[in-house]
Amino acid sequence: MYAFVTVGSTRFDQLVQKALSDAVIDVLRAKGYSKIVVQCGNSEFDTKHFECKGETWVRRDDEDIQVWRFKPSLQKEYEQADLVISHAGSGTIIDVLRLRKPLIVIPNETLLDNHQEELASALAQLRYLKRSNVSELPKAIKSLQSSDLVPFPVFNGSRFREMLDEEMEYA
Amino acid sequence: MVYTIFLILSLALLCVLLRFVYIMPRARKPISAERRSTPKTFSLAVFLGSGGHTSEALTLLSALDFTRYSPRSYVYSQGDILSAKKAVGLELLKTAESSTHPVHGADSNPPYSLVCIPRARRVHQPLITTPVTAAHSLAFSLYYFALAPAFTGKPFADVLILNGPGTCCMLCLAVYFNKFFGLPAPRMIYVESFARVKRLSLSGKLLRPFVDRFIVQWPDLLNDGGRGECRGWLV
Repeated sequence: MYAFVTVGSTRFDQLVQKALSDAVIDVLRAKGYSKIVVQCGNSEFDTKHFECKGETWVRRDDEDIQVWRFKPSLQKEYEQADLVISHAGSGTIIDVLRLRKPLIVIPNETLLDNHQEELASALAQLRYLKRSNVSELPKAIKSLQSSDLVPFPVFNGSRFREMLDEEMEYA
Repeated sequence: MVYTIFLILSLALLCVLLRFVYIMPRARKPISAERRSTPKTFSLAVFLGSGGHTSEALTLLSALDFTRYSPRSYVYSQGDILSAKKAVGLELLKTAESSTHPVHGADSNPPYSLVCIPRARRVHQPLITTPVTAAHSLAFSLYYFALAPAFTGKPFADVLILNGPGTCCMLCLAVYFNKFFGLPAPRMIYVESFARVKRLSLSGKLLRPFVDRFIVQWPDLLNDGGRGECRGWLV
């Protein structure tokens, strides 16, 4: 199984570092995730155990653990992943939930006025995703049950279409 | 003499204020009989504010009947090529969808255009230089909304969809310029981002009294009793 960690275009050193820590990797392995890829954006991390191959850092003792900064689209990663761990970016949240993939969201508490935290909390309350923090990430992965989460509603384009038609007196 | 000048200025100010009261959005506007009887198409403009704003705006558009809303103008900020590309992507997708069941009356005009305007304020730009960049952005907006239509005889759009950030306020200002001078002006629809759960964004707060429809996606945002509507999630 494949676990994908993403921070979008932001810098979130703590999450990237935590995702590459033994604590997180051990618990992912225990849950059956063999492949772990971290999209680190503008974050810095300890490259000591990694070998740089082109745009990708590969862990020397385990080539199934990889880190890279950006790709034009993360859609393919979301589709292939069996678990996504993400910062609280609203774009990522919608894209991942629409694919009905289990999602753990870690808001970046070092940001001031982080309104994205509001979205993560609201959706966690509705049980569409699991919200955690950097230090409790291993616990959050360990305790995550797919039965804890409810499927996200499908896109309903008719709502806005009806509003606009109504406004333009089309209806 | 001073008294006369004061009187004239006061009268002028009063006229301006009355004009503003007149052009502000009203709860119910008269439905034009002509519009109801003859189904027509409406030109649509949308501002793509980059990143999440662009994704949400294009998701809103993806469900529309493009034969009703034509032609379409995608307004993007200078340097934001990604938004322009995503807009073209949506157009291609919609064309591919409609070609399976062809649309009647295809005309020779291009169905969409891309319009680039300078940013009102760049990320991390100091506040003190913002008036200069904002004025630059407003000048472009005025060109597209007021000046260009004066030559072509075609209004820029019948409806304008906004969802932030800052630069979209310049478009709203340009629309009010048109309204003030009685020029054709689009209806404005503001859709607050799905990410705004408890607090409105700055552009949302600023534009709330001025747009024709103010739409939010989380009901708590309307708890203050201000204007707006919520019909659930739109993206």
